[in-house]
Amino acid sequence: MPARSAKILVVDDEPQIRTLLKATLFRAGYSVVEASNAREAINAKGIDKPDLVLLDLGLPDRDGLELVTALKAEPRSALIVLSARDQTEQKVAALDLGADDYVTKPFDTEELLARVRASLRQRLASESERQVVEARNVAIDLLARIVRRDGSEVHVTPKEWDLLEELAKHPGRVLTHDTLLRSVWGPAHAGQTEYLRVAIRALRQKLEEQPSQPKLIINEPGVGYRLIAD
Amino acid sequence: MDVGASEADLPAMADAGPMSLHMPLAARVQAYAGALAMVAVSTLVGMWIAPRWGTAPVDMIYLPAVLAAAALWGIGPGLLAGIAAALAYNFFFTTPVHTFRMDRVTDVVTVVVLLAVALVTSRLAGGIRHQARLAAAHAARNATIAGFAGRLLSCSTEEQIAETACEELHRVFDCNAMVVSGLPEPHVIAAVPAGNRLTPSDVAAAALTLESGESAGRATPRIQPAEWQFHPVRSSGSVIAATGLARDDGRPPVDDDQRPLLTNLLDQVALALERARADDDRREVTSLRERDRLRSALLSSVGHDLRTPLTGIIGAAAELRHEGGNDSALVATIESEAGKLERYISNLLDMARIEAGAVKLKTEPVDLIDVVSAALKDLRGGLSNREVSVDLPDDLPLVRADPQLLHHCLINLIDNAARHSAGEGNIHIAGTASRGEVRVTVEDEGPGLPQDQERSLDAFTRIEGSDRKGGAGLGLAIVKAFAEAMGAKVTASNRRNERGAAFSLLFPKSLIVKAAEPANAG
Repeated sequence: MPARSAKILVVDDEPQIRTLLKATLFRAGYSVVEASNAREAINAKGIDKPDLVLLDLGLPDRDGLELVTALKAEPRSALIVLSARDQTEQKVAALDLGADDYVTKPFDTEELLARVRASLRQRLASESERQVVEARNVAIDLLARIVRRDGSEVHVTPKEWDLLEELAKHPGRVLTHDTLLRSVWGPAHAGQTEYLRVAIRALRQKLEEQPSQPKLIINEPGVGYRLIAD
Repeated sequence: MDVGASEADLPAMADAGPMSLHMPLAARVQAYAGALAMVAVSTLVGMWIAPRWGTAPVDMIYLPAVLAAAALWGIGPGLLAGIAAALAYNFFFTTPVHTFRMDRVTDVVTVVVLLAVALVTSRLAGGIRHQARLAAAHAARNATIAGFAGRLLSCSTEEQIAETACEELHRVFDCNAMVVSGLPEPHVIAAVPAGNRLTPSDVAAAALTLESGESAGRATPRIQPAEWQFHPVRSSGSVIAATGLARDDGRPPVDDDQRPLLTNLLDQVALALERARADDDRREVTSLRERDRLRSALLSSVGHDLRTPLTGIIGAAAELRHEGGNDSALVATIESEAGKLERYISNLLDMARIEAGAVKLKTEPVDLIDVVSAALKDLRGGLSNREVSVDLPDDLPLVRADPQLLHHCLINLIDNAARHSAGEGNIHIAGTASRGEVRVTVEDEGPGLPQDQERSLDAFTRIEGSDRKGGAGLGLAIVKAFAEAMGAKVTASNRRNERGAAFSLLFPKSLIVKAAEPANAG
């Protein structure tokens, strides 16, 4: 937790959702600013300079994706989109436009807070690079390029390491299939999801307690993978 | 469409010469008399010229008379004029005068020339006249067809077209007309005069024409006892209607020489009917599309409206849970019931998408481990205290599927199992690969399926009234529809050695992603 409480801008046109989000975030120690439409959101972003924006994609006055671009602009703040379950394409589009993560409505408040923490941590981490990412019984040392499970080193292939490193650099955040394929295999392999599936399965074999019920590297159907870090 | 006609089409309207049998007797007599009169006038003029300038120019005087007679009245009067002119010239102007004897060779030549002129001129004039008549007949027929087509163009429904066609056929052929369609019982769409009834023979003839596309009925080789003569109305190879023609006196309604015209007119009727049907189809498609669009819009707005308060309820219940100090059982009930409502709404929206044909496939290689764990995570509270065992082998091949649709399938299958497992019965999820196919099975420990419902999902997938327990029908119907959209199969059976039902998703060979070792490639 940072020294001062992080400020979060909640953008949603439904007052009851804003009330719920405010209560949840307040309980977790954040200070909260509200906006009920795109115009207010742009204003609040300029005046209050929030550390993180929680943006509902279904605003009445402007396309949610356009607003993602506008709200990601300077000054920098993290951004999590709130979307309905059947809006997979919009989620992916928002992530491609620079959103840090998404939460599907209806959401579990603990999960929401975990996403908020991960996105804020990411923002702070970029200021002071993290060396070791710990997740359950696994420790990923990004400087030494070593992964340990229960304290003993696990051998991974170079591609597996590249993939694990990419996930560990953004702990708790979802990375789209496309992002992972591009950064690990290169832009020419962007469509080849099977590479990713096979590598993820290999990593799970090596790192998960029960590879068929993963708790460390989890999949968001149709979107991407997430490393659940402590 | 060919509206031009060959000469053979028009025997009645244009024949070889003007002096045909069709020319009335009086006109013929007049023509011959005229020819003789012209020769007489030429002779008088010659008699006036000869004493003054000699007989040399007189033979020329006869030429215009012969030319005119041949051109105006044809070969008969032309020849008569030629012969009369030759005789008159011989009698009045050649020596010896007032005899028919000819001494000079030039006089013989004059007579022969006059006859030849008569012959040639009458042939030429006859040919030209014939061409003119042909052209006029073509123009008249084209005008008939164009007028017919024009009147049909203003009709928009099948009935209007049939009525207009009957009126026009009645006018052109001066007979009774009707349009019939429909097999096996042809019915009259329109008739002129209205109220015409069909005898059984007529109905049989109409049916034969509609079925075979051949003319039938009166004065045709088929079903002659019929009072009406039926002709097919064809459109792109199929018979779409039949036109009946009849005369009150029982004579054949159309002569053979009128058949090509009739065929052309019926082609116009076919075009008009085809156009009307295409318009109808288009209107129907448009209205169906509009209805689907409205329904989808309504459902998605209902979905959104229901979800917003649900998000509030689920979130608020989670907050209560974290605050502690509340009755945790009550909070858990709120959470799990709200979760169920959420799934019902999702299923309703999914079903609406399926029914509107709006399911879009976006397939990619999918790991069933991902799909199963994501479904279990989403179901969370819905599984309450049930144990879920997952057995997915490390080497289970990837399958080609739409991850979202597969996710919804698994959620519904697991939810269905949770609903039917007795008490705190467990759920088993297993993946197997055999003979190139991959199967993922969800088993419960409930009472199982009645014998006759095994292997077929249809018994569960009726939406109305067949729910085994609260909404299961809809969920399984969605599983079936989504699986089939992806090319996978769903089967239902009872567990082999234990109590409980087993539902499987079966991915055929074509959906299995070939094992490759690309992870370290590049």
